[in-house]
Formats: sequence, C-alpha cells, structure tokens
Amino acid sequence: MFRNRREGLALALPAAIFSTLLFLVPVAILLSEAFRSDTGFSLQGYVDFFASPLNRSVFLRTLKLGVLVAGSAAIIGYAAAFCIVNLPGKARGTVFGMVVLPLMISPVARTYAWIVILGRTGIVNDAIVGLGLSASPIRLLFTETAVFLGLLQLFLPLMIISLVSAMENIPRDVIPAARVLGASWLNVFFKVILPLTKEGLVIGGTLVFTGALTAYITPAILGGSKVLMLETLLYQKVNVSNDFVSASVIAMILIAMSFAANLVLKRIATARS
Amino acid sequence: MRHFANWGILGLTLIFLIGPFVIIILAGASAGPNLAFPPEGLSLKWYAKVFTIESFRASFVLSMALAVFGTITALVLGIPAAYALNRYDLPGAETIRTIVAAPIIVPGIIVGLALLRYVVVPMNVTVTVALFMAHTALVLPYAVRVVSSSMHNLRADMEEAAVLLGCSRMQAFTKVVLPNIRGGVLAAFILGFVTSFNQVPVSLFLSGPGVRTLPIDMLAYMEITFDPSIAALSALLAFMSLAIVFVAERLLGFSRYV
Amino acid sequence: MSDTFVQLTDLTLTYGKNIAVPALNLSIREGELIALLGPSGCGKTTTMRAIAGLLAPASGSIHIDGRDVTRLAANKRGIGLVFQSYALFPHLNAFENVAFGLRLQKLPEAEIKSRTEQGMATVGLSGFEGRKPAEMSGGQQQRLALARSLVMRPKVLLLDEPLSNLDARLRLEMRTELQRVQKETGVTMVFVTHDQAEALALADRIVLMQQGKIEQLGTPAQLYAQPETAFAAEFMGFENIFKVAGDSVQNDHGSLPLGYRPDSAILAWRPDGVRVGQGPHQGRVTACSFAGGHREYVIDSALGPVKANADIALPEAQIGDSLSFDLPQATARPLRA
Ligand SMILES: Nc1ncnc2c1ncn2[C@@H]1O[C@H](COP(=O)(O)OP(=O)(O)OP(=O)(O)O)[C@@H](O)[C@H]1O
Ligand SMILES: [Mg+2]
Repeated sequence: MFRNRREGLALALPAAIFSTLLFLVPVAILLSEAFRSDTGFSLQGYVDFFASPLNRSVFLRTLKLGVLVAGSAAIIGYAAAFCIVNLPGKARGTVFGMVVLPLMISPVARTYAWIVILGRTGIVNDAIVGLGLSASPIRLLFTETAVFLGLLQLFLPLMIISLVSAMENIPRDVIPAARVLGASWLNVFFKVILPLTKEGLVIGGTLVFTGALTAYITPAILGGSKVLMLETLLYQKVNVSNDFVSASVIAMILIAMSFAANLVLKRIATARS
Repeated sequence: MRHFANWGILGLTLIFLIGPFVIIILAGASAGPNLAFPPEGLSLKWYAKVFTIESFRASFVLSMALAVFGTITALVLGIPAAYALNRYDLPGAETIRTIVAAPIIVPGIIVGLALLRYVVVPMNVTVTVALFMAHTALVLPYAVRVVSSSMHNLRADMEEAAVLLGCSRMQAFTKVVLPNIRGGVLAAFILGFVTSFNQVPVSLFLSGPGVRTLPIDMLAYMEITFDPSIAALSALLAFMSLAIVFVAERLLGFSRYV
Repeated sequence: MSDTFVQLTDLTLTYGKNIAVPALNLSIREGELIALLGPSGCGKTTTMRAIAGLLAPASGSIHIDGRDVTRLAANKRGIGLVFQSYALFPHLNAFENVAFGLRLQKLPEAEIKSRTEQGMATVGLSGFEGRKPAEMSGGQQQRLALARSLVMRPKVLLLDEPLSNLDARLRLEMRTELQRVQKETGVTMVFVTHDQAEALALADRIVLMQQGKIEQLGTPAQLYAQPETAFAAEFMGFENIFKVAGDSVQNDHGSLPLGYRPDSAILAWRPDGVRVGQGPHQGRVTACSFAGGHREYVIDSALGPVKANADIALPEAQIGDSLSFDLPQATARPLRA
C-alpha cells in the first residue's frame, strides 16, 4: 500500500540495532575468544578445556541431567497432560492455571523450598531418622538428586503446557475409535497419541532441556560446588580464576547443545512418522 | 476407576509443583530461629523482619525499577518493530526477527558476561545502566513476540479503512491498531515484568557493590545466614506474582498470551 | 450525464514482480454507477485499491474531477471504499464505527449524531447503535461498512462485492437501496461483483475484466445482447460456444453442419436459443431438469454436450432418449476470435 520500505525499516531497526549492539556483538566477541590466540585462529581453548577431567565430568553431568530432566518431564508430562485434557471444562482451566502458575514465581523462591525439604533438618531427613532408617541425617542437598528434583520442578510446567496444547488438537474421537478397533492403551499411546503430539513434545523437550542446561540458580543453590553444572562452572571460571577462554568455550557448548537438542528432537519426531 | 487414576496423577503432579510453596510459606512463618519444616511454632516475625533488612529494600526497589523501565523501554522498541514486521514487506525481515528473538535462545549468564566484558568495562558504563540495558534486551523478545501475535490477528485493511475515512497514518495506528492490541501490550508488559523481576543469570555478572537485584541479593544473603527470612521473602514474592497474574487474568484472560 | 469524472490512464498495477493489471484505461462519468465484473483474481479489488490510493501504481495516472491524484495520499482523495472484508473497527460499537470519519472532521456533536443516525437508518440498522461488529451478522456488518462510507459523502464510492453476503431478499432490498442512494446523492459509484445478474440489474455500464484487462465495456443491454468475445459471451450466459469452419461449427469433440455459412469466427447460443424437438441434429439426453417455465436439457451430440432449454409445453424427454435440435442462425451470436 502506501507503506514504503524505508518507513518500515525505520520502525523495525531501533529494536534490531539495540539487540545487535547490546547482545549479538558482545556475545559474538565472547564466543570468538576461545578461537583466538597470538598466532591467529586456534582450537587450543577447546583442547585445553576438554583435557581437564573436571571439565569433562561437568560437561557429561550437565548433559546427563538435561536428558534425565527432559525425559522425566516427558513421561510425567504425558500422564498429566492426558489427565488435564480429559477434565471437564472448568476443572481443566483451574488445573491448567495451577500448572502455569509456578512459572510466574521467582526461581529463587522455587528452588529455596528444596532446601527446606532436603536439608539436614528438612522433612525428608526428619522422616528418615524418625523411621529409624538411618541414625543420623543423610546428605540430600548438594547431590545430583537434589539438582535433578529442583530442575524438574522448575521446568515440568513447560512440558505440560506444550503437551496439553498439542493434545487439544487431537481430533475428539480418534482415541475412542482406536480403542474400538481393539488397540491396547500402549498401542493407542505409541500409534495415536505420540505421533499426533510429537510437535508439542519437540517444543516441550527443547524448552525443558535448554532450560535445564542454562539454569543457574538451581545448580548453584542445590548443587553448590559439589555438583557443578556448566553454568555454575562458567561462573566459577570467571569469578574465581578469571579464565575467559574457558568461559567462552562453555558458552559455545551451551548454545550448541541447545541447538543440537532442537535438531535431534525434530529428527526423532520426523523419523517416527 | 479411570477417574480415580486421573485425579491421582494430577494430584501428585500438583503436589510436586505447588507443594514446595506451601512448605516455604509455612517455613517462613516459623517462630524459631532456624529454617525448619514443620516450623517450630508459628509467628509472623520473619515476614516482618524481611522489611527491616536494608539491603532487601534497596534491591527490591532496583529490581522493581529495572522490571518497570526495562519492560517499558522494550515495549517502546518492540511495538514499532512488531508492527513493521507484521505490516511491511521488509527486506531482511527474517534476519530482523532472528536478531530480536536471539536473547531468548542464548543463556542469560552468557549475555551478562558478554555485556560486562565488551560493553560495560570498555565503555565505562555504570552498573545500573548496564543492568537496565541487559534487562531491556532480555525482555525485548517477549515484547515483540506477544505484541506480534496480537497484531497478527488484526486485519491490515482496518487501518486502510481508517485512512480512507480521513486518518493520517499515525492516527490510524493510535485510533485503530493500538486499541485493538491493548490486551497484547498489557500481557507483554506483565510477562516482561515477571521475567525481568525474576531474572538471575543475566544480572549475575552485572551486579556491583551495593547494586544488586533482589534475587541476587537473596542468593548472597542465603550464603551467610540460614534463618527463615529468605523463606518468608520467597513466600512474599510468590504472593506478589500470584497477585499480578490473578489481576491480569481477571482483566484480560492473560493466559491466552503466554 | 456530464464529462469524465474518474479517468484511469495506462494504469499498471503490480505486486512485486507480478503484474496484476497491465495498462488499464477507463473513464467514468460523474454520477455513473459502474460495475466491475469478472472472475476471481482478475484484478477488480486491485483496481479499486489503486483508485482509493491504497496501492501505488507502477505506472500510469489517475485523475478525479480533473485533478491528478496519482500521488495523492489516500486520506486526501475523498473516496469511500467498502471493503470486501468490511474492515470494521472491532473495538468500537456500530455507532462509533459510522461516526469515526465524522469525528475526525471535528464536526459538531449534534451533526455527528444526526448524520450517523441517518446513515444507519439508510442501511436499515437503526437500533443497532450499541452493538459491536462481532455481535452482528455478516450481512449487518456489510451494511454497517456501507453506512460508514456513505456518511462521509464521498465524491466516489467504491464497493467491493457489497452484496455478496446478503440473503436473496436482503440483496434485492440493498440493490434498490444502493440505486436510491446513488440517484439521491449523485455519487459516482464503482462496485465489484462476480454476479452478472447483479451487474446487469444495477449498473449504468459494466466493465468486464479478465486477467487485469478490460474484455468489454458497455451498457448492460449491450453486454447482454452483444458480447464480443467468447469470454464475454460465456460470462453473459451463452453456454454453447463453437468455432466456425466453413458452414459447420466444430470443437474438440467433432463438428456439425449448420446449413448456412456464418461470417464470424465463433458462434454462440444461449440455451434459450437452441431449438429443441425439431431440427437436423440428433443427440442423446444426458441430463434433464425442471426449471419452472422451461426444462433444461444437456444433449450429448457430435459437439459433445449442448445445453438447451425447451418450453414446458413440449413433451418431456427422458435421460437416454434421443432428441433432435437445431442451432438456428437467428439466435446465433457472432463473436470475434
Ligand atoms: N497482496 C497481494 N500480493 C500479491 N499478489 C496479489 C495480492 N493481492 C492480489 N494479488 C494478485 O493479483 C491478482 C488480482 O487480485 P484481485 O484481488 O484484484 O482479484 P479480484 O478480481 O478482486 O478477485 P476476487 O473476485 O476473488 O476478489 C490476483 O492474481 C491475485 O493473486
Ligand atoms: Mg476482490
């Protein structure tokens, strides 16, 4: 119409320039840091990083926890989403609201609760000691289990939301129809529900996995320096040892892992059909 | 039977998701000096104490200011961008979209570190300004996305109709577009506010002496003290979020935009 | 009727690299009611948008009332446009939708009120003032959009399929209403339609378009009786169109001798013009339907299906019956290639 491109660019560019200058350029420089050396391009930073057993174990732990959290979230998410979708209208809105709500609340608050639950004098230890399962409180905080629980609690809602909206798009009578045709519930899940919701699974899976990779507060509070993850390791590298090359490597790994997760999940989803 | 199983699964899930808040609220209401659950007697003294801690007051004000002004700035930048991306056939529209959305994809801690090292230090920017820029960049993607999606449903020919009835382009925007995306803008504001207020990783490296956002201040406090005041403060923040979301939902059916 | 009021000269309209309308020339007189008729995608909306100023022409010019408005902003042209999609303002109620343009002119409140109410009455929407567009039916929305344009008293009113969403009765009513408004206000109107009957009933002149070009321009009577091309003929209800070869007509199926030698390249007959029950040609009835005053036959002949209407008084032929027919010279419309 009477809309010309110059006008459009004038409207869009401030945001783009802002993002470029304050985000893209600095991040790009940071990422390039590990590739630079006195002699020009170099991969030494990466070689050094992975030469350290500690770094390797943190990398693997991050990967493992990310996969575990995303996998558990998918399993619980399917069960919960299926139940939510089958609820009558009003109850459904309320339950869905209760699932979304935690997302709005400070992750510090959400993580802190686990200290109360898992701490030396927390309810779990009270129960263990009270039941005589152990003479003294056992260490639950600063374990991978604690970090796992914290991350799962933090990101499960994202999976449930993605799966609920995917399931809402399943035509109404498909599942009863499959049942009538003699499919077992397991069959219904793998032959009907899963194929029809795989996009939701991809979105939810990516969100949860990426979220778990890049969460800082949860591993910081519940893992401490005993259970480092890449984010907390990055913080240490910068704040304790001023090691910006390692920080740059970790940054690259985190970004690459998020992208890879999305690609892999998409691949799995399309392979199934 | 099916019914029973349904509610069983949902019950467990909700206990897992919401239970911790109940625990926090109660732990904060303890009468004793230690963080414990069940609490050693009930009192509101820790809730009261939160308000007397000077550093919390300062960091709360800072977080509030960052969330409000950062989000407003993000909207000021984001609404025209969303409009242009929706309404104009722009060269490189995809690139612009990607650039603007990028801060969502990259982990916050990296954004914070990169800003610190290559913008804040070399240009000698104050910590407050740095935080403000970081929070704006962080919220911008949400602003563009939410406003975009509410503009997407708005037919472009309404503006044309307005112009034919005598509006200038600007009037067509303020009289026709803006009233119709009001809900989206408000939703974007709330989402941006909450995101910014709760944000930790981006601010981690950007906090300086005496300038800390509330969540970071809480993390620091936690390392020194182990009393129930953090539980009480967490509970208060949870209530604040609940109140915001509740009001937003009542006002405009907020959940449709998230 | 006075002189040219709207003049399109070599108007070329493009979407990126696609040329939607190549070099269109059209003059419209003041107070005239013009119908733009043509199949979907032929460029009717595009032409309207260019006249209104919503689409900048790639080349060519637009004059309105003697003034070159090719580069004039849309809000300065004094043109009304009723959109195909209505384009009502969802956040305003019906009254405020209609009053929108008047308010921009900063008219006194009393005048806004009276003109708005009068405009709503004209389209039969009195009493709907408080409704939001979403709470109105498709037809009501369309009429509201019409009222919104009418109250502005535009010099030229463009209507993009103004009657398409109305039921048959309302359609007739609105047709009359449009004509009345047009005669009363003397506004120059251009309206788009797919429907030839509507164009014939309403328009002073019809512009028949195909692929961005004017196929034929003329009064309803001219277009109805004397289409010039096969395309125009088909649009005007000539359902039997055949090429001429010597003294026969032919198509992909075969040919039939006519018994006379036409001097045009193509001949066309309406179903009414095909004589049934007598004549030199034979065919098998493949479809027969009762249509009130006549029966409609599809006869499978050497030319493939021939559509013919037979008077109700003639004996009825069943599907599968053999039926004789004629393609008389008297009812044949000669067309150029
Ligand atoms: N925004 C656009 N971008 C690109 N091509 C377009 C656009 N709008 C229309 N066209 C093309 O221009 C041609 C003319 O379209 P136009 O909308 O004018 O047709 P129309 O005659 O109004 O059809 P209809 O009767 O279906 O409304 C069509 O081929 C169409 O595909
Ligand atoms: Mg059209």
